[in-house]
Amino acid sequence: MQKVFSFLKPYRIHMVIALCLMLVELVVELWQPYLMAKIIDEGVMKKDLHEVALLGGFMLAISLFSFLSGLINSFYASHASQSFGFDLRKAMFEKIQSFSFSNFSRFSTSSLVTRMTNDVTQVQNTVFMSLRIMMRAPLLIIGGLIMAISVDVKLGLVLAGGIPFLVVFLIWARTKARIYFQSTQEKLDNVNNVIRENLIGMRLIKAYIRGNYEVKRFQKANKELRDKTASALRLIEFSTPVLMMVMNLAILLVLWFGGFEVSSGGAKVGEVVAIVNYGTRITGALSVVSMILMVFARFRASGQRIADVLETEIDLLDHADVDASFLIKNGKVEFKEVSFHYPDSPYPVLNNVSFSAKGGAVIAILGATGSGKSSLFQLVPRLYDVNSGAVFIDDKDIRSIKLDTLRGAIGYVPQEALLFTGTIAENISWGKENASEEEIIEAAKNAQIHETIKSFPQGYQSRIGQKGVNLSGGQKQRISIARALIRKPKILMLDDSTSALDLKTEGRLLHALKGYSCTTLLITQKISTAMAADNILLLEDGEIKEQGTHEELLKGSQLYRKIFETQFEEEKRMYV
Amino acid sequence: MYKELRKPFQYSRPDFKANGRAAGGKKKAKAKNMQSTLKRLWMYLSEKKGMLFLVVLMVVASSGLGLLGPVLIGRAIDHYIVTKQTQGLFLLLAGLAGTYFLYSLSSFLQSFWMIGIAQDTVQKMRNQMFRHLHSLPISFFDRRQHGELMSRVTNDMENVSSTLNSSVIQIFSSLLTLVGTVSVMLWMSPLLTIITLSIVPLMFAGLKWITNRTGVLFKEQQSNIGELNGYIEETISGQRIVKTFSQEQKVILDFMKKNKRLRESGFWAQTFSGFIPKLMNVLNNLSFTIIAAVGGIFALKGMITIGTIIVFTEYSRQFTRPLNDLANQFNTLLSAVAGAERVFEILDEKAEAKDESHAIEVKEIKGEVEFRDVSFSYEKGGDTVSGISFIAEPGQTVALVGPTGAGKSTLINLLSRFYDPDIGAIYFDGVESRSIKRASLRGQMGFVLQDSFLFEGSIMENIRYGRLDATDEEVVEAAKQANSDSFIHKLPDGYQTLLKQDGSGISQGQKQLLSIARALLADPALLVLDEATSSIDTVTELKIQEALKRLMKGRTSFIIAHRLNTIRHADQILVLHSGRVIEKGTHETLLKNKGFYYELNKGVKTT
Repeated sequence: MQKVFSFLKPYRIHMVIALCLMLVELVVELWQPYLMAKIIDEGVMKKDLHEVALLGGFMLAISLFSFLSGLINSFYASHASQSFGFDLRKAMFEKIQSFSFSNFSRFSTSSLVTRMTNDVTQVQNTVFMSLRIMMRAPLLIIGGLIMAISVDVKLGLVLAGGIPFLVVFLIWARTKARIYFQSTQEKLDNVNNVIRENLIGMRLIKAYIRGNYEVKRFQKANKELRDKTASALRLIEFSTPVLMMVMNLAILLVLWFGGFEVSSGGAKVGEVVAIVNYGTRITGALSVVSMILMVFARFRASGQRIADVLETEIDLLDHADVDASFLIKNGKVEFKEVSFHYPDSPYPVLNNVSFSAKGGAVIAILGATGSGKSSLFQLVPRLYDVNSGAVFIDDKDIRSIKLDTLRGAIGYVPQEALLFTGTIAENISWGKENASEEEIIEAAKNAQIHETIKSFPQGYQSRIGQKGVNLSGGQKQRISIARALIRKPKILMLDDSTSALDLKTEGRLLHALKGYSCTTLLITQKISTAMAADNILLLEDGEIKEQGTHEELLKGSQLYRKIFETQFEEEKRMYV
Repeated sequence: MYKELRKPFQYSRPDFKANGRAAGGKKKAKAKNMQSTLKRLWMYLSEKKGMLFLVVLMVVASSGLGLLGPVLIGRAIDHYIVTKQTQGLFLLLAGLAGTYFLYSLSSFLQSFWMIGIAQDTVQKMRNQMFRHLHSLPISFFDRRQHGELMSRVTNDMENVSSTLNSSVIQIFSSLLTLVGTVSVMLWMSPLLTIITLSIVPLMFAGLKWITNRTGVLFKEQQSNIGELNGYIEETISGQRIVKTFSQEQKVILDFMKKNKRLRESGFWAQTFSGFIPKLMNVLNNLSFTIIAAVGGIFALKGMITIGTIIVFTEYSRQFTRPLNDLANQFNTLLSAVAGAERVFEILDEKAEAKDESHAIEVKEIKGEVEFRDVSFSYEKGGDTVSGISFIAEPGQTVALVGPTGAGKSTLINLLSRFYDPDIGAIYFDGVESRSIKRASLRGQMGFVLQDSFLFEGSIMENIRYGRLDATDEEVVEAAKQANSDSFIHKLPDGYQTLLKQDGSGISQGQKQLLSIARALLADPALLVLDEATSSIDTVTELKIQEALKRLMKGRTSFIIAHRLNTIRHADQILVLHSGRVIEKGTHETLLKNKGFYYELNKGVKTT
């Protein structure tokens, strides 16, 4: 929470100015009745027209002055609150970008999205409001009380008797409201989550005509949101009448005691009238209090959610002893007795895996579904850290290489081709900033997608939807390969990324890869692809069962022979 | 220091002129737009007429009681305190206490009920929007960013929600007070009333100037939030790529551009709307001054008394306060309109064509499918597929083969009626597809799509998605048939294992098996299969083949096939090229023809 407040620091000056300008307005407002009285006393009573005009002109001048400070206040208050929100969003986004995958497992995507937009808007509004109106009400209440006590101590204290109740009630309501609003925001997360899931799975939902089922699911989440919101708001709205009742009762008591005081001669009528008057003014200011209460409760609720993100400890960072000057030149990859399990599951995925790939070598990894191939891949760019053993690149433990250096040398093509909204050119050049057009085309050519792109009406400028929805599987894969190739990586990792290509295209692609001086790790099921590799790893249940060249394995491994035979008899694929 | 002080004035000026110009003669249209948006919002509210009536009643009651309080206080002072008579004071004070209680009660009730109405309305709009999303054609989603749509359901609705909660009450009670004060003022001195009212045109002019700007700015702000939301969602979904390409800095830079745009529009929207209370304040002071000065002159000339001036200044305060409230409410209303407009934009998106009025329900179909001279294109003009004709007998397996972009997915889209043909028709058991209700037709179909999408939830729930009323036993049976039972048992929590949204935890092949199980559970007469391209180890592959064989048995199946194995066993192979069926037949006959298919096949054989 402290963390969120600290984002206000750079705008201290602006906030102070905004508050001062607000005070100017307040002063002018209180000055006006005084000047008014003067007009009457000095001008009208003395029949001095000149004085009336003079004072009237002065009043006009100060009200214009107050208007001007009001306008400037708007600028300063907006600047402070908007920049505060801007900085918060920036800090959150940067933080999220540095999240490790196990950090991500703590928050759902939709919750992160809500926190960055909706929650930030809430705290931002609070700052704006407090810089403009909020101070008025408390000042009015305190000022009113002081005046009342100075008029008559006894009766003034009777009026002040209501204040402790107010304070206690406000503290109670504030805590409660914060809890309510926090769960409101959580319900909002849920609503967001259902929508997101539906948007991602829309095709399937339509195919299975599960629209109604999903609508019901949404309605449930939505109803919960509605109920939580309503009860939070009702709690807030409940506070105003209660507070007013308390203050009004205090006024009643003033009248009651005042009556006796006056009849016994302890107080003058005018004093009672004055105190009652202050009482009603205070009651009037109370209506704003509930709004202040709400805004602050929301601030605390949303602020906490923002702080949760900002204060998350990143568990995968550059170590203190990284060698910043180290560069990956050769691309040699070595696994030494690596074991790994995912952070939220106790089941080991990889067990004592060791192998080595010389710079420029091609390593094929074969294995059954769920044998740990993709998990093995994730360890190289350090998406996760190993639990025991170590991964070495160019004979250096990757944990002592800078993350940027490490990942900068890797071209990774995941199993699911994740593309982004934008043009095809943008998606390919995503792998390399400021890539020239020639580079883009070269990468596309080598990825065997250039001809296809050219056949689109808008060529490289064709826009693709989120996750590349309007492309076929094979097209997506090849664009995603081009994106990796444009980086001219030292280590190229293909996670079953050619599965949607026909053999001719795949053959051409693999041939084109030879033009890149990089170590290639590829996960494949096709023996035909594996055959050309320098080394083949056979993975089973997270362990390396066999490794060797095609010929060696064909001789030495029964399992490999079996796969080879079945594939060459049965498994053939055709066009996409 | 000086630099800091200047910052608030260094935002680039919003270009209203450009906006106006771009809109050209649309200025009127914009105003009309706003009117119709408000009208639509009112339509939602007016469904709760009864409740609204109660709220209004409470507003009237609380306003009345609010006035009664001071009157009673005055009485207490005049009749008891001034006369030093304490007898009877208690009774009067008891009456006052009662008044206060009822006042508090009625103001609580009005808020209580109004919040109910507002939140019900918001809930309803959200539900409607979600329901509408489901009726939109699939092409709609291909164009949109998820996060941007999400923002409409949350951030934009939030604007509507916060306005409805308080604005209706505020607007009504302000109007009420306004009418009350103006009547009293008229009664006291028509002349001074007119002078007081002289600020009204100024107020309107000022308000118009401001709201003309805030209206545009609010809209811009909301669309900037939407864009930002979209970007955040997409980059978080694609973290794997961002990380492995170590493009965090680039992503942050892109984000900052959008973030900056949001700050710009937010700054101006907030600044301009911040002008409103200030404007009202200065007008308030102005009228105060006018009354004091002009009233003073009048009093000098003996036209009015000093008392009248004092009362009037009080009333002019009374008069501007509700005006002030109204002006502020009008502004929040604008921000709600900006939100609501974006919500209505979605609601106004054209839904998938409705079922024909004479469309029938189909209960059970045998599974005969005929395409008769079908042509279709996604956009007017170009032909995506044309002149497609073939018949699939019940129980047959039809394999669709051809290069990328040949029209295989389009045929599947037409078959499942995500789209209808432009020319020609599709017949199921001899009935034209357009005269069958979409839902009942899809109810007869099972789907195994290329990306085996799984929901966040247990494996049990994910399979059950195929048929919601299936028992646990049936789910397990389907899983067994789909050869997935054994791997599910190996998972830590068996069928109750929770799958994460990104599907991590199980492999691609296992996902495919689960989606086959899902289709088996649905037990459809027609099967649509987009064969997954990702390759799978031989053992799992065999399991999938076996499961598919079971799945396809006795059902008419359409397969976008990549595996020779699948194709070879098909009863009918349609070879597509550039949107046309260029060859048709079985594996053997097609090979004998030595046409395109033969060439395709040769490509496989040579490796």
